[in-house]
Amino acid sequence: MTVAAGIGYALLALGPSLALFVTVISKKPFLILTVLSSTLLWLVSLIVLSGFWRPFLPLNSAASWPFAVLIITSVAFQEGLRLLFWKVYKRLEDMLDAFADRVSKPRLYPTDKMLIALAGGLGHGAAHAVFFCLSVLTPAFGPATFFADQCPKLPFFLVSSIIALAFATIHTFSMVIAFNGYSDGNKLDQLFVPVVHLVTGMVVRTCCWSYYCNF
Amino acid sequence: MESSILESIGVEIIGVMSPVSICMLLVVLIVYSLCPATDSAPPIRSAANLVYLEVPTDSTVQKLEGALLNALVFVIIIAVVTFLLVLLYYYNWTGFLKNYMRFSAFFVLGSMGGSIFLSIIQHFSVPVDSITCFVLLFNFTIVGVLSVFSSGIPIFLRQSYMVALGIFVAAWFTKLPEWTTWTLLVALAIYDLVAVLAPAGPLKLLVELSQSRDEELPALIYEARPTVLANSRHQGRSLELLFGAASQSGSVEMQPVSGNHIGTREGGEQNVHPEVIVSESTNPGNLEGLLRQGDEVERSPLVGGGLGGRSSSSSVGSEYSVVVGSRDAPEIVADEERSPLVESRRRGSGNESAERGMDDDGSESELASSGIKLGLGDFIFYSVLVGRAAMYDLMTVYACYLAIISGLGCTLILLSVCRQALPALPISIALGVVFYFLTRLLMEPFVVGTATNLLMF
Repeated sequence: MTVAAGIGYALLALGPSLALFVTVISKKPFLILTVLSSTLLWLVSLIVLSGFWRPFLPLNSAASWPFAVLIITSVAFQEGLRLLFWKVYKRLEDMLDAFADRVSKPRLYPTDKMLIALAGGLGHGAAHAVFFCLSVLTPAFGPATFFADQCPKLPFFLVSSIIALAFATIHTFSMVIAFNGYSDGNKLDQLFVPVVHLVTGMVVRTCCWSYYCNF
Repeated sequence: MESSILESIGVEIIGVMSPVSICMLLVVLIVYSLCPATDSAPPIRSAANLVYLEVPTDSTVQKLEGALLNALVFVIIIAVVTFLLVLLYYYNWTGFLKNYMRFSAFFVLGSMGGSIFLSIIQHFSVPVDSITCFVLLFNFTIVGVLSVFSSGIPIFLRQSYMVALGIFVAAWFTKLPEWTTWTLLVALAIYDLVAVLAPAGPLKLLVELSQSRDEELPALIYEARPTVLANSRHQGRSLELLFGAASQSGSVEMQPVSGNHIGTREGGEQNVHPEVIVSESTNPGNLEGLLRQGDEVERSPLVGGGLGGRSSSSSVGSEYSVVVGSRDAPEIVADEERSPLVESRRRGSGNESAERGMDDDGSESELASSGIKLGLGDFIFYSVLVGRAAMYDLMTVYACYLAIISGLGCTLILLSVCRQALPALPISIALGVVFYFLTRLLMEPFVVGTATNLLMF
């Protein structure tokens, strides 16, 4: 539905991430590098997952259990990758502290650590929004639109953008929570993140459409 | 509260990655908006197409063989021209080369830039008359020619013109057929590797020559001036300190040389080709000063006598990707604002006047700035890869962009650790090509399938 609508959908999915990027991340070059590397990591995880699932595609969309398996494996893999990211981050933190000692500056503050976690999460969230929402958004720049199957009154792109926005937020802040949980040894935080990720992934396709579609 | 280290780490890397990203973004936009109808138009014959003209109806094997032949011929041409450049530099033909460079910059900005502007005006129906257009284009070109050479031009203007040159050449390169483009990129990455690291490689010879004479290599390079904060004394050394490299008193430069081949109108394709050289240079230990970004003081102090040594500046003409490491001296000095052009020309249709120009500004010594310098050819070939990915899908664009940026980051880190000549192309191109094919073959069916079913994770 024209260029304006296309840009609108893109900003809907990426707007808060962009705001976060411009105000917080762009001031510190190291955080920009963190965003880029975490985006790359997410991309690599997506490639591995698609490599694994490629022989099984296209999935039979009638039955819903293949999708459930898909979601479970994907979420499990990504949460495993989050742990890996945490390990790498610990080593990086040691290197940064050593560097700080060499140049006689203070070591990393707690806010710095949270900023790095935020940047990592933002990388994941932005990558999710780009790959899942923006890549299918190209038809929206044309003169017409598709409507969603589950709710024929909503344009498909709108639904996709809103879901992408939600997931970007989840990814961004779950990294902060997870890193805090890992560093403090707080089991509740550590479990919170994968559970939220899994539940959202499973629920977004099927739940409650008829209830919300009554307008 | 004292400022944290997070404020200052990684400034140099971002200073290089931003113009590369901007260049790639603009090339992608140009490719998307102009949307060349590749199949209907007859393919342009150029230096990259000499042997085999790709037609969509050929079989796969034919296309592959033809593309390989094309790439081989192109690399041979580039190698010959590079050796010619070394020869000319050896015999000090600098005045001639300087003027040749200026002319080639004029030509690129005027004709290639002009044709792209015309296509944009046509496509978007911009209401502008031809006389205004001509005058504006002429002004644009002249300022560009002035800015790539002389001192006294603001650094930002020079950086913008470098990026603009990269964009125009890359946009022209995307007109090449697909198989030829990919094999050409891979061949150039391999050539870059060989030319810089092998003992008889032309670029290595070039840098050694320039170092032995204590002169600068003229070339088109993008200089990323560092933002030196008032209280940061270890600005340029952060990379090395971070990765535990022993600090030395030398400054390391990574200089890729590239040859530009500019074809004629009907067959013209400009091939720019980066090779990277790194040269070690002695450190002018007793220099003080602060380099501010956008500092217009582009003086070239006659450094020879008063200093213990000089850092070999790497103002290389075309495509020198120079990474200048940090030095022991407290800060950097007013550096020579000089980026002469190194180009070699090739007319695609026949009169093969391949020359390589090197601008060597006489006997003045220079001090390399502590900012990172990246050769223009790197810009161009990164953008060609991303532009070609843009012709397929947005997902491949993003994947290739990430791959190239991470390759560039790896190269910079490797440079700060190895302190040796390193080529800037191979890692990024390799990653870019791998990610392109992986995304296209594996990831896209998966992601599009799940996204259209609103199945997200």
